[in-house]
Amino acid sequence: MYVWLWRRLPGGIPGKLTGCAVLLVAVVAVLFLVVFPWASPRLPFNHVTVNTPQSPSPQVQQTDKPAVPT
Amino acid sequence: MDIAAPPTSHEARSTRGQGHWRTVIRGVGQTMITAGVIVLLFVAYELWWTGLTTKRDQHHLFTQIHQQWNRGQLLKDPPLGSGIAILRIPRFGAKYVFVIVQGTATADLIKGPGHYPGTAMPGHKGNFAVAGHRTTYEHPFYNLNQLKSGDPIVLETAKTWFTYTVEDIPGTHAKAQEIVAPTDIQVAYPVPDQPNAALPPTQKVLTFTSCNPRYSAAQRIVVHALLTQQQPKRAGLPPALAGYRLAGS
Repeated sequence: MYVWLWRRLPGGIPGKLTGCAVLLVAVVAVLFLVVFPWASPRLPFNHVTVNTPQSPSPQVQQTDKPAVPT
Repeated sequence: MDIAAPPTSHEARSTRGQGHWRTVIRGVGQTMITAGVIVLLFVAYELWWTGLTTKRDQHHLFTQIHQQWNRGQLLKDPPLGSGIAILRIPRFGAKYVFVIVQGTATADLIKGPGHYPGTAMPGHKGNFAVAGHRTTYEHPFYNLNQLKSGDPIVLETAKTWFTYTVEDIPGTHAKAQEIVAPTDIQVAYPVPDQPNAALPPTQKVLTFTSCNPRYSAAQRIVVHALLTQQQPKRAGLPPALAGYRLAGS
């Protein structure tokens, strides 16, 4: 894959190096901005709330009126 | 990689065969190395990048909440993801400042500690319950296990300082610090551990939840505190924050 890529990139050694750098930045950007943010909440160490098994949000009975912070 | 000498016709077939296997093995090797690098990048994302994005969001929320307070704009029902109070915990140092946001969905918690909607607001009777990340996303509750009975937890709202003190909640089984199952939602009830919600709360409780142990979702770590002191902001800093210098307020 990498050998094929290296052969296909134009512009001699400098061009090939530049092409590699651009591709690398693009791949890392897609990972950090799209793939990882999608994967992250699916991992166990990001579960911090107490929930009933069915509901994603706590079913906490409310006896105090919702009010603005004073 | 290239073959140096032209092989004889007999050798050519076997060399071609070797070349084929070489390509397969090289492909597998490259794929595995690539996968390893992606996993390492993901670790960097979790441990470093998420902290940066949360820091950016917190900075924005901090400015926003002060603008809101200065305008005297008090929202009756704060929208999800908006700042509702500023949290300071002297045990974690003077630099420990987090804006608590409304809501405990993934999108809220990546901005900072999140208030369970429907639970009491700061200073009100009932239970001001807040969830926060133990690891990643600037890990506001990384050291929750270090909070001990007697430690102050200070909330700043538009006009008031509220100081809660970590302690066992009288009249309940709720301990200052406890480890519970992820389904033990009674820790966030108006009266912690009292599922009978008909009973009106008389105490002003604060509850923190986070995951336990770190980097796991097996359990939840819970800290309870009681409101022990409050004063208007114009009266200056509360005793628990003696020596603090506040920026932006």
